[in-house]
Amino acid sequence: MSENVEKYIKRKVYKSTDSKIAQKFVDAGLEKLRACINCGTCTGSCPSGRRTAYRTRSVLRRALTGDESVLEDIDIWFCSTCYTCYERCPRDIPVTDMIIKLRNIAVEEGHILDAHFGLANKVFYETGHGVPANGEANKKWRDLRESYGLPPLPPTVHVHPEAVKECQELMKSVGFRDLLDKIEEQKEKEKAEAEKNKEEEK
Amino acid sequence: MSEESKRKYGFFLGCVTPNRYPMIEASIRAVFDHVGVEIMELEGASCCPAPGVFRAFHIPTWLVIAARNITIAEEMGVDIITGCNGCYGTLRDAWVELEHEHELKKMVNEHLAKVGREFKGSIEPKHVVQVLYKDLGIEFLRGFVKHKFNDLKVAVHYGCHIVKPSDKRPWGGECEDPTFLDEIVEITGAKSIDYQDKFQCCGAGGAVRTAVKEISADFSREKLENMRNAGADIIIDCCPFCHLQMDLGQMEANTIYKDMVGEPYKIPVIYITQLLGLAFGIDPSLLGLMKNHDLKGVSPFIPLEPFLEKVKEQLT
Amino acid sequence: MTETDKKIEITGNEKPKIGVYVCHCGVNIGGVVSVPDLVENAKTLPDVTVGREYKFFCSDVGQKMIKEDIEAGLVNRVVVAACSPRMHEPTFRIACQEAGLNQFLFEMANIREHSTWVHMKEPEGAYEVAKDHIRLAIAKARNLAPLAVQKVSVEPVSLVIGAGITGMNAAIDLTKAGYKVYLVDRSATIGGHMAQLDKTFPTMDCSSCILTPKMSEISRNKDIELLTYSEVTEVTGYVGNFEVTIKKKPHYIDQVKCNGCGICVDACPITVANEFDLGLSTRKAIYVPFPQAIPSQYTIDMDSCVECGICARETVCEPLAINYDDEPEYIQVKVGTIIVATGYDEYDPTELKQYGYGKYPNVITGLQMERLLSSFGPVVGKPVKPSDLEAPHSIAFLQCVGSRNFREGGNKYCSRVCCMYATKQARQYKEKHPEADIYIFYMDIRAFGKGYEEFYESAARDYGINYVRGRIAEVRENPLNHNIIIRSEDTLLQQPIEVEVELFVLSTGIEPRADSDSITNLLRIQKSADGFFLEAHPKLRPVDTLTEGIFIAGVSQGPKDIPDSVAQAKGAAASAIGLMAKGEVEIEPFFAVIHPDRCSGCGMCIQNCAYGAIEYVDDRRFGEIASVNVALCKGCGACSGNCRSSAIDIIGFSSEQLNSMITKRE
Repeated sequence: MSENVEKYIKRKVYKSTDSKIAQKFVDAGLEKLRACINCGTCTGSCPSGRRTAYRTRSVLRRALTGDESVLEDIDIWFCSTCYTCYERCPRDIPVTDMIIKLRNIAVEEGHILDAHFGLANKVFYETGHGVPANGEANKKWRDLRESYGLPPLPPTVHVHPEAVKECQELMKSVGFRDLLDKIEEQKEKEKAEAEKNKEEEK
Repeated sequence: MSEESKRKYGFFLGCVTPNRYPMIEASIRAVFDHVGVEIMELEGASCCPAPGVFRAFHIPTWLVIAARNITIAEEMGVDIITGCNGCYGTLRDAWVELEHEHELKKMVNEHLAKVGREFKGSIEPKHVVQVLYKDLGIEFLRGFVKHKFNDLKVAVHYGCHIVKPSDKRPWGGECEDPTFLDEIVEITGAKSIDYQDKFQCCGAGGAVRTAVKEISADFSREKLENMRNAGADIIIDCCPFCHLQMDLGQMEANTIYKDMVGEPYKIPVIYITQLLGLAFGIDPSLLGLMKNHDLKGVSPFIPLEPFLEKVKEQLT
Repeated sequence: MTETDKKIEITGNEKPKIGVYVCHCGVNIGGVVSVPDLVENAKTLPDVTVGREYKFFCSDVGQKMIKEDIEAGLVNRVVVAACSPRMHEPTFRIACQEAGLNQFLFEMANIREHSTWVHMKEPEGAYEVAKDHIRLAIAKARNLAPLAVQKVSVEPVSLVIGAGITGMNAAIDLTKAGYKVYLVDRSATIGGHMAQLDKTFPTMDCSSCILTPKMSEISRNKDIELLTYSEVTEVTGYVGNFEVTIKKKPHYIDQVKCNGCGICVDACPITVANEFDLGLSTRKAIYVPFPQAIPSQYTIDMDSCVECGICARETVCEPLAINYDDEPEYIQVKVGTIIVATGYDEYDPTELKQYGYGKYPNVITGLQMERLLSSFGPVVGKPVKPSDLEAPHSIAFLQCVGSRNFREGGNKYCSRVCCMYATKQARQYKEKHPEADIYIFYMDIRAFGKGYEEFYESAARDYGINYVRGRIAEVRENPLNHNIIIRSEDTLLQQPIEVEVELFVLSTGIEPRADSDSITNLLRIQKSADGFFLEAHPKLRPVDTLTEGIFIAGVSQGPKDIPDSVAQAKGAAASAIGLMAKGEVEIEPFFAVIHPDRCSGCGMCIQNCAYGAIEYVDDRRFGEIASVNVALCKGCGACSGNCRSSAIDIIGFSSEQLNSMITKRE
């Protein structure tokens, strides 16, 4: 293929209003997204947008107009959920809640950073904590607790294995376990594909 | 205060406080004990779950686990008190949402029923600062002040989730320019200084820190630069994740952005109850300010010595 | 209503002969239910002599069908089952009248709005409902009695509340048609907000130059009684006959003795913020609102005055015109029509903390900028920064401040004039300082009027004003020089931007007057959801209210520019003239009537009447009983519904008529 064709010819077609993503927002009771007039107050307020390529308004406009590539975009993970946009939107759109919903939709399709997936699948599911203090690797933190006169483990799920089981049962019941399994499968498939491609290139 | 009228709260610990910054936990316990408030344990509580990561992955899971944590306090009949903006954000947002959306409440209770629990909405999740400012009150706290600073410039960092979303917070809609944390700081005699972008996010939350650390480090670098330019002696915060971001994050900013930063930042990071406890005359070792171990690679990462010297000079 | 020679005698003793006419209304009714079946069903009911259907009974052909039946003696009561009486009740009443049948022997069944339109998807249900509506109308028609329309005279005098550009224009037009006008304004001068403007878009006419001739015309006009520094405190009565009480507030200065020398102003020791200049300048406690004020009268603002007595000294006020003991004067006038033109308030942006108004000195509002640009303003038309009184080298305007805000407590509407006034102010400044950088931050530019788009195009092309599409998120101050640093997104570039300017103008929007409830309570007119006065119909009756004889005009009805305000002033004046020209107005005869033999004199109806239309009278036969003043009664039925003795009926909606509708089931 000619280099110039690859470089310069862009045939991206503007997808119209039958956005599947937009429908998911409407179904979740977040139809307020459709009232967005693109004033840019959100992007202007965004502390992340000032230092990354994340553009609050653009990301939501892409979702609204059916540009599904937004689900794979890493930029949507750079919102720090500071809620400043939420507080200032003149159309009273709960912007941060929209970004969170967008992330949910992305995760549903398997688009989640490996670090985040590990956090959910291994750390949170197994221990019930997001930042645990059990296990060999965390001994120094238990020692630190004791140095301040506190018991080595807090009275949380860390000392109540039945509570961990309860959380896991709830996560199964609400579909989180299935979601994580699906993503795990997808990620393994992707990794296998990538390995195969690397082999073929050699 | 008699036993009946003694205020009681269920202490929601979360993750970062007990497992990475236990000095914050120690100082909260010490201060509330000192003012006669009973802190009860919420046995078997889990991660709140962290709003930035887990809510972003699957909202129903976040809602159900948050509701479970609330039911632990409901069974004890006490309001929840938490010292973390993230946990406060989760528990409070979940509480408000479930109160208003009957369909959601029904859905959540269907799952909770499988483990013998039921969300009723009978208790209120509160933040440590909310209890200090609203339940106890500034005048009440002022009564406990024994020593006052006379020359301590504090860069107060509120963080985000203690004030926003403002429609689910108890501050009457104020979120652009709150003053309640500054007021608490100033009863200790310290001066809360103005600095550029005082209310900007620390950058830890929203899954940013766990996604790309360099981005969150740039958030802290910017805040630290503004705080340094304004002449801050210390940073005061009310959230362990902000605390982590300004403490461990200060070290990260110094290394990752070495060239931009120039002279490395070394501003001690102090939690609000640590400062308050000092003014109340509580022993610093009970407030997690004294290091009595020689563990490596643990908090605090920015030495507290410059602050402790000021404490010695001004408070005795 | 037309006069006719034809008159069919109705004594009330003849058997009712009811004609039922069911309209298809195109497919609105006919497309949902079977009209022929409705007609057939109606014909089975007692006293129904004629049943017909037609596509459009409101048409000439349809009306002719009804008239022919009346003239042929086939019917002496008419029921039309069609659309809402609000649409065509007058049409059919006139048709009856023209055929010689008293117009109040007509009853309308609404089977469109009340059946086929709301149950479009359930035709069977719609049919049952329509059938019922017709049955009810027939039941009422059996008990109808002929009534006579009431006529009341209309006083050929008008009251105009508010003497801004709208009120003044209405007043002048009223006098041109030969009517006397009481023109009331609570400010010490006429002119309203327009007096505060410098130039007007798009022609760049100087506002004062086009306003002051009107103001002079008002003061010269012998048919206008100008009552400034006055407020309307009570209004009773009804269309054509309003009794109005006006309070003339005390100036504390005898205007006859005062020679306007102004020495008192120099001598006065009390200085306060000048509200005409929106706090950008000061005035004394004794003052004239602005140089070209009409009337040119001095006033003492008693809220600020400390009664030091300096102005009252003979050495200061030679004619001894100062009078601290001045009292308000109340006058009562009778008017036939009232026009409300009370204008607006400017939105106060202090609550929008992210924009720094009230915190940073170099953040001002649109109206404050107008005063800075004004040749008789605090800086005689050379705008400066409040921080150091130097002319700014860069200015940013932010549009939609306090407008188009759907957040809790926000004004959702667009204030209509701000896009144009910001463009105008930017252009004015550029004319004085061509090298200055000017930005207008906007969400949309609304340049809808005559010459407006051209004005906007020229602002960008000829004057180099930078239009940035982005609503500013927040600002902070540069502590060294009080410059304003703006954070926004340039949405068309999809980039966050930071811009530093020397002056920041918030293009603040229009709000209804904070105390507009005082007008709605006084006149019993309504407000729409946005807080402006409610017009009778959004499209077809923009200057009428739902109260006959009372009209609204100008920005008090909704945000608009000067041309539209003047158009509404003329429309309201024309409507008022229409009423007054006839000299009399017809009132529907649906009043309350009290059966004296049943009245127990308990007084409940007197308490319940919102219009004060009922009072006690001493009846020779029945003692102290209630009596209705037919002129004030609006036929609302509150008295009738509450009467424990069932002594009150509303003519045209009597208990007998209503009961027949709900109890007889065939």
